[in-house]
Amino acid sequence: MADNNLCYLSATELGEKIASGEISSVEATEAYLERIAQLDGNYASYITVTAERAREDARRADAEIASGNRRGPLHGVPVAVKDQFDTAGILTTNGSTILGENIPDTDATIMTRLKEAGTVLLGKLNMSEYASGDAFRHPYGRPRNPWDTRRNPGTSSSGSGAATAAFLCATSLGEDTGGSIRGPAAFCGLVGIRPTLGLVSRHGVFGASWSMDTAGPISRTVTDCAHTLAAIAGHDPNDPQTWDVPVPDYAAALDGDIRGLKLGIVTERVHTDANDPEIREAVIAATQVLSGLGAEVSDVSLPLIVNSSEISYAIISSDAAMLNWDIISTGRLRELDHNNQVRLLMGSVIPATAHQKAMRLREALRQQIVAALEEVDALIMPASSVPATLIPESTGLGTKAEVIAGFKGRRGFTAPFNLANLPALSINCGFTASGLPIGLQIAGRAFDETTLFRLAYAYEQATDWGERRPPGV
Amino acid sequence: MADLTDGEVLALAKASNITIPDDLVTEVRESLNGLLEALEAIEEPDVSEIQPLPIIVSATARVASSPSP
Repeated sequence: MADNNLCYLSATELGEKIASGEISSVEATEAYLERIAQLDGNYASYITVTAERAREDARRADAEIASGNRRGPLHGVPVAVKDQFDTAGILTTNGSTILGENIPDTDATIMTRLKEAGTVLLGKLNMSEYASGDAFRHPYGRPRNPWDTRRNPGTSSSGSGAATAAFLCATSLGEDTGGSIRGPAAFCGLVGIRPTLGLVSRHGVFGASWSMDTAGPISRTVTDCAHTLAAIAGHDPNDPQTWDVPVPDYAAALDGDIRGLKLGIVTERVHTDANDPEIREAVIAATQVLSGLGAEVSDVSLPLIVNSSEISYAIISSDAAMLNWDIISTGRLRELDHNNQVRLLMGSVIPATAHQKAMRLREALRQQIVAALEEVDALIMPASSVPATLIPESTGLGTKAEVIAGFKGRRGFTAPFNLANLPALSINCGFTASGLPIGLQIAGRAFDETTLFRLAYAYEQATDWGERRPPGV
Repeated sequence: MADLTDGEVLALAKASNITIPDDLVTEVRESLNGLLEALEAIEEPDVSEIQPLPIIVSATARVASSPSP
């Protein structure tokens, strides 16, 4: 029997123990594979477990490390990725039965980079169909939140959140178009970062919106998250949107010293009834911790942020419709989830005047955020207005009034930074009275992920939220 | 702006060269009307002079040049 305790190590600790020879990558991999087999029936976090590939990766990692060729901090560490990323020779469904037999010939660039970092691929993680947070039906099983299995682990990187929180992988990758990394990170008590658009390649990643899709890590610690992002980031000639800029050693900057950093509390998203009181109190308490560590805290106002949900929805729905035009126009629409059918059809008929207004409002919001970030180093607000929601019992996007009311919800807490193409991170900052995690969001300047990691690390070291585990896990 | 009717939504679909199945027309109409009304309600700021750039690259570069402390 494998040593289950290995699964409770952070990815960074595990990598260090593998490097020192204290344990082998094969041992760690067998421990994770056994744990997945025992527990994932509770969470449905995996679509495909790549056991033989994982064992092969682990044997190669052990041999390379033994011969003195350690590739980096994640060498030999078992990881899992959202099923939105092409993996050569491995089923890649994008969460849909339409791609139920899709086996790519090549890897997405980020998969190549994970391989070059020496990681061990445990498998492909469950997700909302076509990365749409509106999807109700989950053909590969309904992902469940380890903190309360009646609840949603966050969308659309739902399996990435559930598997990482349940210790079914050491670290994971998700993809964030409107909040799909930060949502699961917030709902599952994890650390997730949506990088600056252009830092991480989209080549081989199924698209949801050309101008907002960003792959990134969901991890249990800030250091793990930093190492995982460093492994996948960087210019890719296959993605013309990536920037040819150096990738910093994010983890090297994590010294806990945040004295003098200026933080802006987004008043429209903190001091407001739009969020749950427990969320508001936890975020305010977190800013007090950061202030106590030497950060300079002040309020900032971003008036348009309250409209970011509808602005985002207009653009993403239209992009998604055009990206999936082959499905809409070839009669395969009916194979999609009901809500996705409605959303893609709606996105296909948005009048140009409305779309152009949304694009203009997007730029106006971006200018407000950028102006604020010329005065402060980072913005602070909740990652979600509510804790993990109950899994819905019925499908449908609702009436006009319900659609409008929905725009006031949690999408409007993550979407602003997708619209602005800026990096944003979620870290756990406490729990509700009923034991559900609360996400603190830290957003910053383009390509300044380092500052977000520094702030999150200092907060993590000053608090003990990360020591809690989900019940029964 | 008055809500779009089923017929107007179907006309938009025809102009886009797609077919909306009968059982989805009402939901597509409600979803579209909700989005249009929410966008219509946003009055500030005046965005008429703002260029609706699809990809914001040069402007983010300006911010990237600001060094972290």
